[in-house]
Amino acid sequence: MNYFEIFGLEQTFIIDLNALTQRYQSIQKSVHPDKFAHASSQEQLLAAKKSTLVNDAYQTLKNPLKRAQYMLEIRGVDMPNEQASFSDNAFLMRQMELREMLADVKFADDVDTALFEANQVLDTEFQQLFNTMQAAINENSVESNQQATELLRKLKFYQKLQVELDRLEDQLLDD
Amino acid sequence: MAYSEKVIDHYENPRNVGSLDKNDPQVATGMVGAPACGDVMKLQLKITEEGIIEDAKFKTYGCGSAIASSSLVTEWVKGKSIDEAAGIKNTDIAEELALPPVKIHCSILAEDAIKAAIEDYRSKRGE
Repeated sequence: MNYFEIFGLEQTFIIDLNALTQRYQSIQKSVHPDKFAHASSQEQLLAAKKSTLVNDAYQTLKNPLKRAQYMLEIRGVDMPNEQASFSDNAFLMRQMELREMLADVKFADDVDTALFEANQVLDTEFQQLFNTMQAAINENSVESNQQATELLRKLKFYQKLQVELDRLEDQLLDD
Repeated sequence: MAYSEKVIDHYENPRNVGSLDKNDPQVATGMVGAPACGDVMKLQLKITEEGIIEDAKFKTYGCGSAIASSSLVTEWVKGKSIDEAAGIKNTDIAEELALPPVKIHCSILAEDAIKAAIEDYRSKRGE
C-alpha cells in the first residue's frame, strides 16, 4: 500500500489537505497504544509499526516538495543521489547572488525594507520554479518526470535560502 | 556535532577568500552546489601558460565543513600543475580535516569544484 492509498487519496499532486489530516488523525486513534494496553505483545508491535508508517506517510504527503519527490519515486523515476554535486552554472551563479543579497541585508540603511524585498525575491523565484515543477509532475511523461526531478533539486536550494532568511530575520529583529 | 580543530581553524581564518576576474583568460571558475544542504561553492584558479596554478580563491556559502574544505583546497592547489590538482581526492580532504561521515559530502563538493574549474579552463582554451 502506498502513502496515498493509506489515506484513500487519489494519486494527484493537488490533494485535499483537510481530508488528509482528518484521516491521519482517525487512523492514529485506531492504533493508539492505549487501545492495545491489554493486547498481546505482537499486536502491540504491529500497532506501533502501523503508527510509524502512517506518521511517515502523513509527513511526506503534507509537504509539497516531499509529496512531489515521493510521487516521482513511486513512478519509478531515477532520483539522483542527494549528496551528488549539482553543476548548472547559471543556476548556481544566481544562488551566489541571492546569498550575497542575504549577506548584505544587515548592512542596509533600512533593514525592514531589505528583509521584505529579499523575501519577495525568494518567493517569486521559488514560486516560478514550483509552478513549472507542478506542471511537469501533472504531465507525467518520461521527460516531464525527469524535468520535475531536476526542478525539485533546484527548489531545495530555495528552501535552504528561506531557512537562512528566516534565521537572519530572527537575528536582526532581536537587536 | 563537534568540529575538528583544523575545521575550526579554516572556518575562523579562511584562506584565500574572494574572487578573481572570471573574464581573465587565465582564470578558471568552478561552481558546484549540493541540493541536500543547499551549499554553494565557487572556486577560481589562475593558471599560468605552463599550466601551473599560481593563485586560487574561493567563496562558499555553507556549513563550517564546506568552508574549511574549500579553504584547504585553495592552499593545496597553489603551485601545483593542473594534473596534480586534478588528482586531489575527497578522501585526502576529509582525512586532513578529520571530517565525520555526515560531512564527507563537503569534501566531495570541494573535489568537484576543482574538477569543474579545470573543465572550465580546458573549455576556455578550446581543448
